[in-house]
Amino acid sequence: MEKQNYNYAIVRSFVIWSLIWGLVAVLVGVIVSFQMVEPDLNFPPYLTFGRLRPIHTNAGIYGWGVGVIFATFLYIVQRLCKTPLWSDKLAKFQLYFFNATIIASAVTLLLGYTTSKEYHEMEWPIDVMIVILWVAFGLNIIMTILKRKDEQMYISLWYMMASIVGVAILFLVNAAAEPVSLFKSYSAYAGTNDANVHWWFGHNAVAMALTAPPLAMFYYFLPKSTGVPIYSHRLSIIAFWSLIFMYLWTGAHHLLWTPVPDWIQTLAMGFSVMLIAPSWGSVFNGYLSMGGQWHQMRENYLVKFLILGITFYGLQTLQGPMQAIRTFSAFIHYTDWVPAHIHMGTMGWVSMISFASIYFMIPRIWDREIYSIPLANLQFWLILVGQLIWSISLWVAGVLQAGMWNAMNSDGSLTYTFMETMVEMYPYWWARAFGGVIYLVGLIIFIYNIYMTVKKGEPTAVTTATAEGRA
Amino acid sequence: MDLASFVYLGVTFGLFVIFVLIVIRTYNKKNKDKGEVAKYNMLDDD
Ligand code: HEM
Repeated sequence: MEKQNYNYAIVRSFVIWSLIWGLVAVLVGVIVSFQMVEPDLNFPPYLTFGRLRPIHTNAGIYGWGVGVIFATFLYIVQRLCKTPLWSDKLAKFQLYFFNATIIASAVTLLLGYTTSKEYHEMEWPIDVMIVILWVAFGLNIIMTILKRKDEQMYISLWYMMASIVGVAILFLVNAAAEPVSLFKSYSAYAGTNDANVHWWFGHNAVAMALTAPPLAMFYYFLPKSTGVPIYSHRLSIIAFWSLIFMYLWTGAHHLLWTPVPDWIQTLAMGFSVMLIAPSWGSVFNGYLSMGGQWHQMRENYLVKFLILGITFYGLQTLQGPMQAIRTFSAFIHYTDWVPAHIHMGTMGWVSMISFASIYFMIPRIWDREIYSIPLANLQFWLILVGQLIWSISLWVAGVLQAGMWNAMNSDGSLTYTFMETMVEMYPYWWARAFGGVIYLVGLIIFIYNIYMTVKKGEPTAVTTATAEGRA
Repeated sequence: MDLASFVYLGVTFGLFVIFVLIVIRTYNKKNKDKGEVAKYNMLDDD
């Protein structure tokens, strides 16, 4: 095998930068959670909740999430295709341009430049940078796939290609705008159409950035960590195509009870419920792949991260369709229930898979054994407990909030003022901030463990897939 | 429902037909071994 030709330097760089941006994202997340309970912690004009919140979400999705996508995809594609990257120069360009784009985004958001479209806040010059970045990345991956050694493509490659093509289409359609100055543009769509296009983008960004890539990683790193193949490759292929087919129609479930045509809402609702099938297709494929291997949950810390990750994906994709049903949506929409859903997905599903993927790659790309497996286990528990406190407290808060908003007196007037409902939220918001701090400690331990591995780790002795993650 | 909505639903249905064809092809007995080979190959990329 031409191992020596693989470009691991670029994977190492993306791992480092994704950790840096991940730390920024979680740190700012913790800060904004305290700003919600202690408004005096807002320092206008820059360090306010309004300016910092989009920095938290964008650093999380694009800095940490996409950073890990870049690192893992560039690793996986070389291994699965058994061939080095198509272009090392393009990969290097991608690295510099990625950081330039993230920095430009953070600075402009801090200065208050925003399109005000959630998850697409950056103004048009940064949109142009994102397009260049994605084309460089996508071209390199697709050209590498084209020169692969095995004819049959493993499922991870399908998810990777879907993510590349999907993000490109979504982003280009939603970014259509007319610039009126360097930092101001107006959307090409108006009113309801704008909202509909935007949430078509929003929900499919969840599909193409927060679902397809972690699934690509899961399908690759689970069998590599356990040493046994996935249960069924054909099931994974069917789940893949049905996921691709169904996701595209679901965006309007973010706009139930709005002026968006009723039939579009109903279609979105129907497809959202159907989405349970492909999602659980992958969940079951994961669980069934563990047949005879469940003892590894105790012995192999990588498997713990991966199986908990896919479990949160299963819960997330059961909860999501419920939220997409009109009557359920009427109750929880606009409440704190929704951020709890998001954070089970991001802190539970996406991050758990990302941690396992990075732990798996480190010994191979740095030739160093992981510095401390007890620390990795401690991190696992901190991440799990932090995320559960975060999500559970806000689910409870959301139900309470919805109940109070809906409460009516016998004469038809509202029982509670909006301010009364806000005051009730405080204990839950404190709990959320506390959960966030625990999660942050877990992340810092992760980064410390990686740092010490690179600095002081023993040179790798065992390189077989099965032995990789044994505790 | 106007023409645009019928086109929208038509595209949905067209994609559904393609999806059904993919399922039939994947689970065709002839393709059984071919469909599973990648999961073994991926294990020896070390
Ligand atoms: C079957 C799959 C899923 C379905 C049907 C679904 C459904 C939904 C629905 C209906 C909402 C809107 C809630 C509201 O505002 O009333 C929502 C919000 C959201 N979901 Fe999911 N979800 C799914 C999976 C996921 C996954 C895997 C993630 C990954 C992290 C995720 C992340 C999000 C995010 C980020 C939002 C918030 C959007 C906002 O800011 O308003 N979802 N989801």
